[in-house]
Amino acid sequence: MVDIRRISTNRWWHKKNNWGLFIFLLFLFFVRISKGSLYKDFYYLISKPFWPGQFQREVLTKSVEQEFLIRLKQVEKDNKRLREILSLQRLSDSESISANVISRKTGSFWRQIILNKGTKDGVEIGSFVVGPGGLLGRVDNASLLTSTVKLLTSPESKVGVWVERIQMHGLLVGSGNDYPKVIFYNKDIDIKVGDFVLSSPASTLLPPNIPIGIIQSVDEEFKSKKTANILLLGKPQAIDWVQILKVEI
Amino acid sequence: MRNYIKKKISLISFLFIPIIYFWDPSWLKFLGVQPYWPLFWLLPWSMIYGPFDGLIIGLILGLILDSLSVDSSFTQIPGLIFCGLWFGKLSISKYSFEEHLRFGLICSIASFFCGSLYFFQILIKYWSDHVIFLYLTSIQNIFAQVFITGLLAPLLCSLLLKLFQTSKGRDKLTNFID
Repeated sequence: MVDIRRISTNRWWHKKNNWGLFIFLLFLFFVRISKGSLYKDFYYLISKPFWPGQFQREVLTKSVEQEFLIRLKQVEKDNKRLREILSLQRLSDSESISANVISRKTGSFWRQIILNKGTKDGVEIGSFVVGPGGLLGRVDNASLLTSTVKLLTSPESKVGVWVERIQMHGLLVGSGNDYPKVIFYNKDIDIKVGDFVLSSPASTLLPPNIPIGIIQSVDEEFKSKKTANILLLGKPQAIDWVQILKVEI
Repeated sequence: MRNYIKKKISLISFLFIPIIYFWDPSWLKFLGVQPYWPLFWLLPWSMIYGPFDGLIIGLILGLILDSLSVDSSFTQIPGLIFCGLWFGKLSISKYSFEEHLRFGLICSIASFFCGSLYFFQILIKYWSDHVIFLYLTSIQNIFAQVFITGLLAPLLCSLLLKLFQTSKGRDKLTNFID
């Protein structure tokens, strides 16, 4: 009787140390199974106050921006050289002219803006105008002190465009409202909402690859044509400052 | 000076039409469309001076506004000539609440007529390209303009009619036109 009681009190689970060891082994097993996720999360919490600060992020962002700028300059140089070889339209080397919008008619059928720079400042008819977002239109008329820009939304505006993803040309036609349309003379093209529209590399009026807008909706095909509505990136109704750029012919 | 301005008020206000056309205040727009400004001046002026003067001044207004617009293929002249002629045939009645509303209604109809004429010019020009359906969405412009023109007309036309009636510069302006 005495022996039985001694044996039962000596069982391993009656010892505190053994339980501690068991829990530790269980913990190790969990760490192994979870591949240390608990440790990683714990490290996340305790290291958070010592993470690289805003300053370091800015320094890195600046470096990356500079790298991109250098690359962009190089690509522009290459592009200019190649376009010269192919005798295609290109931007003038001279600086662009900054101008202020002094009058805007962006509603109804008359869609134009008037800028505070004219022939006195070197503005020429046919120069194109870009604002934050992209292309706005072309200078249609210039007086000594002002120039009038026909917007892309004007019913008389027609511009050759290029859809980058599908590598297809189209014709951007102003329809008298805020959403000009692109006509594709091929009904089988795979145009999708969200595709970027740029100025056409083959255009004789505009320099190539200037951002214009995004495809907003695609209409039903009609007589072997497909049309799509464009959401313009440049908003003439809100822009106060623009750049007038010359095109070298 | 005050008397001089009073005499020439119709001519001075006429010179302000292109300025307002350029100014295009954004807070006076409906669906991005501004009122058809020339009608506010043309209606009271033609009502006072008659249909022939109305026709001539409609032509002059059209020529000025066309030269301010970059759309060289379309014109506002036919609409404004017709409106000048029509407005000249309307009689001036006593100032009353109905008279103000009448101005609104007349300007709305005239705005609809001018807008439709302009729209049909666009349709006719692009008829052969088989892309006229692209321009159908701009019908909204006509109706927005009709609404905002009709809304402002009672106020502005009544004010200008009063000013023109009190002005003594009629002879000068008609001599200038003739």
